[in-house]
Amino acid sequence: MGPYPCGSAAVGWEGVRSEVQCTAAPDIDGLLAGAGYRVRSSDLCQVAQRLERLESAMVYSSGGGHVDYDHLASDAVHYNPSDLASWVDSMLSELTPADPGPVRQAPAPDGWVDQIYPQPQRAVAARMEEEEDSGIRLVHLLMSSAEAIQRGDAALSGSLIDEMRLLLTRVNTGFGIGKVAGYFVDALTRRLYSVSSPAASGSPAEYEILYHHFYEASPYLKFAHFTANQAILEAFDGHDRVHVIDFSLMHGLQWPALIQALALRPGGPPSLRLTGIGPPSPDGRDSLREIGLRLAELARSVRVRFAFRGVAANRLDDVRPWMLQVAPGEAVAVNSVMQLHRLLTDPDSPGPAPIDSVLSWIHGLRPKIVTVVEQEADHNKPGFLDRFTEALFYYSTMFDSLEAGRANGSAAQQQQATAVAEVYLQREIRDIVCCEGPNRAERHELLVRWRARMGQTGFKPVHLGSNAFKQASMLLTLFSGEGYCVEEVDGCLTLGWHSRPLIAASAWRADDLEDNARPVPDNFIFSSISSTSNTNDSNNNNHNNNDIINSNGSMLRRNSNNNSRSSDSSSQQESIHGM
Amino acid sequence: MEVCGVPPEQDKTKGFSINDNADLLAEILSRLDGRSLGVAACVCRLWSGVCRRDTVWEALCTRHVSGGAATARAVVAALGGYRRLYRLCMGPVLERLPPARRDEAGHVSLSLSLSLSLFSIDCYERLGGRQRSSLLFLRNTVDVS
Repeated sequence: MGPYPCGSAAVGWEGVRSEVQCTAAPDIDGLLAGAGYRVRSSDLCQVAQRLERLESAMVYSSGGGHVDYDHLASDAVHYNPSDLASWVDSMLSELTPADPGPVRQAPAPDGWVDQIYPQPQRAVAARMEEEEDSGIRLVHLLMSSAEAIQRGDAALSGSLIDEMRLLLTRVNTGFGIGKVAGYFVDALTRRLYSVSSPAASGSPAEYEILYHHFYEASPYLKFAHFTANQAILEAFDGHDRVHVIDFSLMHGLQWPALIQALALRPGGPPSLRLTGIGPPSPDGRDSLREIGLRLAELARSVRVRFAFRGVAANRLDDVRPWMLQVAPGEAVAVNSVMQLHRLLTDPDSPGPAPIDSVLSWIHGLRPKIVTVVEQEADHNKPGFLDRFTEALFYYSTMFDSLEAGRANGSAAQQQQATAVAEVYLQREIRDIVCCEGPNRAERHELLVRWRARMGQTGFKPVHLGSNAFKQASMLLTLFSGEGYCVEEVDGCLTLGWHSRPLIAASAWRADDLEDNARPVPDNFIFSSISSTSNTNDSNNNNHNNNDIINSNGSMLRRNSNNNSRSSDSSSQQESIHGM
Repeated sequence: MEVCGVPPEQDKTKGFSINDNADLLAEILSRLDGRSLGVAACVCRLWSGVCRRDTVWEALCTRHVSGGAATARAVVAALGGYRRLYRLCMGPVLERLPPARRDEAGHVSLSLSLSLSLFSIDCYERLGGRQRSSLLFLRNTVDVS
């Protein structure tokens, strides 16, 4: 049986399990062969499962029980009954033609099959059975390969990868487990055979395009934006000057809806400032400013006083609070859509993680609301196999939901959006599987961990409310694929596919009701202006730097007052106004 | 719908045709639902012209919504008008609702606010001059049974 471990996990074949051990396997095989059965003892658990399914199909068939299975005795095509496995399969396929089965259930932990089921069935049902079997086999092989990598056994995992590639040529890789497996096999290959450690590939511009298509193809980002906007809108109630800080501006697609909602709010719109953080553009174009100009034009058309500021930074922990120029007296909202997880480190690595200092300075801004949307997955485990398994099931579900959208979508553009959205997800998969240590950016954590972290930093939770829930539910009705579900968990909303939550939105506050005007604490002040490459910014920031570097908080406050006054004039370069 | 035209036996000085008064026609048409408005727009050139008035579509969109009409009108006009709002967003959103719910005030006003959000994103994309794709998903057929 080669180097592969002997499978012994039997789900339902209790009698055999106690007898099937590695050393006893040849004896059992011999006994079975002597009795005339061509089946290996390691396969018996699979056969047992199928016999159970056959029994339930025969006894509890749909329609109340009268199934004419006399035809099984005469008309059905059976194969050699001494080959137990295929004989049971052929009976099953006669009775239950469409039984796709739970391809994504957790596979039997230790056992996997290395026997190839017989090929010659021609019926469509049999073909689907084979697809399902291949799917299960792929999952098993992926697990084994990941486990081999974790053990350091590169040779074994390499040969398993080859076997998977072979299997993938026989499986439909257009959808389902075949497609996801393809991506994971690709990632494993990269991990195994890449010479240099693969860091995040591609430019920020590429990433924006992928992000945009993911936005179009699925409801997750729209859900994130609309839910966050609702929380921000409710938090800004009663305030005349509001300031939104967006941790990842991208194309600014979240903000038109907020601008519109503020324009329509009873009592009139406040004056809105938006600070957008994003990566610096390599070719000299100021993409942040372009987005700001567009948003300003929209705001001007609906008569909302608007000012924009772009902060160019490659990493969030390069941003310092003074760059945001929060003025006293304005209500601050901080918005982070799938950004905070990039600041985490390995759970068992010593020392403070960047997330702690960032959360501290956010808290220091005393925001009225902090909206946090993150992937609902546990992809920050240090053990490779655990992480791999989690990722496999998470992305399978995610791809399923995309697939449902594609199946119903008619426009060619929609199809294209789905295809590019898959590339977006593939990037995440590669990052989770291939990168280790500081190279890995996609460190998703579950909502409970985020809740604990935010609570520890001193944030108080804000319930998202029924308006947000109703809006999310209605948004989902617009998307094809009836598997989406919105759930409310302790005041946070999660969006998932078929009861597996995939993305979670929560809201927090840190304002002291009695002390709104406390200035930003200056112990986070900077040692150098490291990464803001926006020249306008650096000119202005140099000025700030010179003023503040020897001073205390009062100087900072005065400076920020100056800035807020001067920002009302149209001559300040990096703020764009709409009237 | 009655044929527009005056029956020959009616004296013009005493009779009245709906086509004589476009404002009255608009007032009547503003009580229709979306599909009927579309049908009405195909009747004749006069009716088609009346059906292009944004007030008719505004009445349709804000039927169950209370308050703030004037400011909303200005904002929606800036974003592209109620007729476009209905065609691009509100119509598809209302269609997704089960038929029993399409007249419930709560659902209609939620549909309107969601539609406005989507509409503003569409307007924003138009400003950028790039291909508008954020509303593509609304073109897909969804099974509402």
